Amino acid sequence: MIEFSRRLTFFLILLFVQVLILNHIHLFDVATPLLYVYFAMTFHRNYPKWQVLLWCFFMGMVVDIFSSTPGLAASCLTLTGFAQTYLLERLVPRDSAENLDASIAALGFSKFAMLCGLLVVPYCLLFFALEDFSFFYVIDWGLKAISSAALTLVMMLAVESIHRK
Amino acid sequence: MRNLLDFLAKYHHWFIFILLEVASGVLLLKYNSYQNSVWFSSANAAVGKVYQWESKVIAFFYQSHLNEELTQRNFYLERQVDQLRQLYADLTKDTTQMERNGLQFLSQYQLIPAKVVDNSVNKLENLMTIDKGRADGVEVDMGVACGNGVVGIVYLVSDHYAVVIPALNATMSRISCAIRGRGYFGYLHWYGGDPSVAYVEDVPRHAKFKLGDWIETSGFSSIFPSGVLVGKIEQAYNSRDGLSYKLKVRLSTDFSCLRDVCVISDKGIAERAALMQAARDSIEMKINR
Repeated sequence: MIEFSRRLTFFLILLFVQVLILNHIHLFDVATPLLYVYFAMTFHRNYPKWQVLLWCFFMGMVVDIFSSTPGLAASCLTLTGFAQTYLLERLVPRDSAENLDASIAALGFSKFAMLCGLLVVPYCLLFFALEDFSFFYVIDWGLKAISSAALTLVMMLAVESIHRK
Repeated sequence: MRNLLDFLAKYHHWFIFILLEVASGVLLLKYNSYQNSVWFSSANAAVGKVYQWESKVIAFFYQSHLNEELTQRNFYLERQVDQLRQLYADLTKDTTQMERNGLQFLSQYQLIPAKVVDNSVNKLENLMTIDKGRADGVEVDMGVACGNGVVGIVYLVSDHYAVVIPALNATMSRISCAIRGRGYFGYLHWYGGDPSVAYVEDVPRHAKFKLGDWIETSGFSSIFPSGVLVGKIEQAYNSRDGLSYKLKVRLSTDFSCLRDVCVISDKGIAERAALMQAARDSIEMKINR
């Protein structure tokens, strides 16, 4: 129950930061920080996979409702949540704690950054591919995806570092 | 059974994942107009190709029947032209004038031949797909006719296909018609049911006609030129309000085995549409003052 309340609070904070502030940032008209993806990074080891999927789907869905893009973030974030559970398992040693946190404190900076990078870059590529729904402007798509992924990663690592302190 | 349950229990998150992704996909395509339109266009092209193959096979079997019908129609029209030419020559003493008039009339229009690749006649809102699109010069609001008469109006156009609203569309089709040789006009409306019968509404009470008279396009709509055959009057009724006639018309086009059609491209259509719009705007401004 405590875990649920903590996660719900985290859900709401990320959601409001995203829809009230970050959705309005379009750096150089290409980069948009998608910090809500951070939500999918933070599930600890052996977190029930079906719960991860549902949390991610609802997070994506609510962001979609606020952004008037139903299904867009929901599909991408569900896929990211799904991949997170398998990727985290690969990155941590087999003998580590059963409920090891996915954080800089538990994984170390490099492994956490790798986890985030491996999830955020594909997320942004897929997100902007679905948003454009065409590969006619492939340079535009690549530029938006990579710059948004970079901005999101920087913000994510910054928030994680603050969180650790 | 036990193995199946074990399998489901072990991989239940995969099923949830697939379910959520499908739900997201449906939401994405259903409630995002841009993604929906892109999906619709590409899907339409693929579906159009399949229908094209299907229609080629069916057309092969209908060929002899169609040829017979067109030959009869051609013979009838040739006879009619011949009679009219003689009549005109008798009246004016000029045998070449009628031919020159005919050529001048036809030069206004460009006919784009097309094949019907998908068609339905059993719904209330029938639609038809033809294998010519924007790349072939087809545009929205162009008229479509076949050898036997009027077919419909182009509604949606992709690069290589177009969707036509046929006269057999109960909610969207309204084609302006006139009684041949008498000039009284009305609107063609189909109520569903028999695909060979439609009704011409709003024909004025003072109109003079007789059963068996031909109905043709009036040429008022700037979509069809005047004189494209629609059908023959079978019955005449009073309209519900009693202010006009409602004519039951046996359609000359057999929509159930339609294969070859022509899209009518009128070069003056844009000019006429712009003029009509300007007139409407002007009237609206005067009213608002």
